[in-house]
Amino acid sequence: MSLRTLTNPAKPAARRATPAGVARCPHCGTAVEGEADAYCCGGCAMAASIIHGAGLERYYAERTSYPPRPEPVPAAWHTIPVESAPDGTVSTRLLVDGLRCASCVWVTEQVLARTPGVADAMVSYATGRATLRWDPSRTDLATLAARIAALGYRPRALGDDPRPDHDLLLRTGLAVFAAIAIMGTYEALYAGAWYGGMAPRFAALFKWVSLALATPVTVWSAAPFFRGAWTGLRHRILPMDLPIALGIAVLYLHGLVATVTAVEGYLDSLVMLVALLLIGRMLEARGRRRAAEAATSLVASIPRTARRAVRGGGGGGDDVETVPVEDLACGDQIDVGAGEEFVADGVVTEGTGQVRMALVTGEAAPVAVCPGNRVVAGTVLLDGALTVRVTAVGTATTVHAMAQQLHDAVDRGAGASGSATDRMAPWFTAATLLAALLTFGFWWQTGLAGAIAKTVAVLVVACPCALALSEPLASAAGLGATARRGLLFRSGRAFLALGEVDVVALDKTGTVTAGALTVTAADDETLRVAAGLERYSHHPIARAVVAEASARGIPLPRGADVREEAGVGISGTVDGRRWTIRRGSPGEIILRDDQGREESMRLADTARTDAAGTTAALKALGLRVVLLTGDHPGVAHRIGGNVGIEQVIARADPAAKAAWIEGLRSRGRRVLFAGDGVNDGPALASADVGVAMGAGAASSVLVADGVISTPSLAPLVAGVRASRIAARLVRVNQRFSLLYNALAVGAAAAGLVTPLVAAVLMPLSSVVIIWGASRVESTLRKEER
Amino acid sequence: MSGVLLLLLVALLLGAVFAGLFCYAVKSGQFDDLDDPPERMLHD
Repeated sequence: MSLRTLTNPAKPAARRATPAGVARCPHCGTAVEGEADAYCCGGCAMAASIIHGAGLERYYAERTSYPPRPEPVPAAWHTIPVESAPDGTVSTRLLVDGLRCASCVWVTEQVLARTPGVADAMVSYATGRATLRWDPSRTDLATLAARIAALGYRPRALGDDPRPDHDLLLRTGLAVFAAIAIMGTYEALYAGAWYGGMAPRFAALFKWVSLALATPVTVWSAAPFFRGAWTGLRHRILPMDLPIALGIAVLYLHGLVATVTAVEGYLDSLVMLVALLLIGRMLEARGRRRAAEAATSLVASIPRTARRAVRGGGGGGDDVETVPVEDLACGDQIDVGAGEEFVADGVVTEGTGQVRMALVTGEAAPVAVCPGNRVVAGTVLLDGALTVRVTAVGTATTVHAMAQQLHDAVDRGAGASGSATDRMAPWFTAATLLAALLTFGFWWQTGLAGAIAKTVAVLVVACPCALALSEPLASAAGLGATARRGLLFRSGRAFLALGEVDVVALDKTGTVTAGALTVTAADDETLRVAAGLERYSHHPIARAVVAEASARGIPLPRGADVREEAGVGISGTVDGRRWTIRRGSPGEIILRDDQGREESMRLADTARTDAAGTTAALKALGLRVVLLTGDHPGVAHRIGGNVGIEQVIARADPAAKAAWIEGLRSRGRRVLFAGDGVNDGPALASADVGVAMGAGAASSVLVADGVISTPSLAPLVAGVRASRIAARLVRVNQRFSLLYNALAVGAAAAGLVTPLVAAVLMPLSSVVIIWGASRVESTLRKEER
Repeated sequence: MSGVLLLLLVALLLGAVFAGLFCYAVKSGQFDDLDDPPERMLHD
């Protein structure tokens, strides 16, 4: 059993003598008893000394948000891959949690930049990413991560991050440059024609210059459309890129012939259209990248360590060494303390404790374990202390295997059907070709040259640019609007499906409830004393007690000589008396004073504060809300009653949850399921739209279509609203573009479309679509009021 | 004719110079992050 002394007798210096009363910790803002400027814990005192030592006091004056309380981040940072530069420095990117204000970003960046050995430190407010470059002979990543953690912010390792698409930006840049230049040359041509003709050699000059501008745009800038069309054809599907590529090719070839034979061409329309299409693609790519970045942030993890017991020689006690999880092997003995997550599957060999299985089974109540019991990776030891013999690590663990199976199942199901716009493409292409043939057939008798000119005009104005832009742009705008509200979607299609659901099934633990313990019953005085002891501990119960005391506005008293005995409890002196906190019956902790008097406090997993409001809002949107949980009916009905959900389905194991959802879907209902655990994976995969809680198991995040990145349910409401707005916009835009195309093709077939008319009409229709997509956010705001 | 030709050439050359500058700016990552530099400026 480990016994730690938590309070440091050396108090932080620099304090003014003020009357005793309530004060706030100058670093993290927790209310504490005692003099002003007293730090609530050693961590905050340390953070402040770092900031003052670096001469960054401005931070305290300028910040608009308190940082979380500093906690150490023991992690195997040396396992993170780094990039080496020729000058001997190495660099990597970390995600930093808890940066809620611009000053927080600034102070983190400055503290890192002033750490010896650091060449470069950049922290982004928008994405929470820190880009670090340092000299590996003078410092290491563990030191830098510890500096970030010491300030109260939490560093995490980033996996593959989406990189900005330079290629698309360059192609767009060239097309826009050419579009502006070609506007000049064609303006001269149109003006010349309008005022009664210009000298043929000038006309020829301007046409050749236009051709020179249009050629790189067609060959290089428009290449993504040709590539898309070709890929589609090879896979025997007709994508929307096909009619676009067809239109661009016809425009360019006609322009080439027109320049040589000195007749009017459409090169200005061509360049303008390519530029607009590429701008649309870029807006779409930016929306997707934002969502992908946010999703990467959610699965960023701390490279974990384990405490491995090494058998000491000569029959003495064991040594314990800290090793990266990757280095663990089957048969190793690892120590697991209270509040820690199991990093591998194993069998308990020594000690007892209570394990929170919520992420795996969905049951909130902890399970008692003793030697001989199995434990699985991903669960958390609530209290106690165990030695575990490892039986499976890494990809061999139960949790990983379950996640992999689900991931494979989801991958097999995806990719079969394209978007609604892509499904229109074959019809569109067929209709265009048919219209072109009819036009040619109709005008053929009146002369070959006229017939060709009108057929080309039909093919040109039939280019479905507005149609192709409408769905990607509307869904990208919707993805951005929901991401700002805390709901991230992997694809535009899943996002558009969200607006069509009619049943919302919610998991209980970790979804409707916070998934963490909160104090449900305790009187203020008991809570005050308990918080005075627990403020020094990082145990889940300790956090719950301190959070409740802070929420009630109770200043934390200063505990002295506080000792935490792993698996037993915590003791210390508050107000000059000795207190101990011990575990009582399940869901209860007991505070005992030195006279043996006892006070009890109850803790439970309670509904999120916004759960009732979200349920009501979802119902107001016309949706049926169901609580679908693996927990006991009693608990499920109590939580359901609290948040206003009448239909409760309890004791549903993972397969039963999925089956229930399948049953509804087979009756034509569309189901949204939100859950957080590994046990919710099958349900997430079988629902029309699966949304995982960002704080939940990484495997559920991988399987889900969307992820809620904030600890609340409200983003679901914003998501449904935004999806409906975007879907409405897509429908309107598609009708508009089809009508536009039909009218334009009719006019072209009648011989009414000249290059000038095309140059005005075609870009205008695309601009209308882009403008429409930009209104998703403002429409959503209007509906939210 | 020669005047127009000269003006055209000068205009296209100038355009090409700016296109080249744009390429350089993109490749050196100046468009990668458009959100943070305005924030950063306020602190310096």
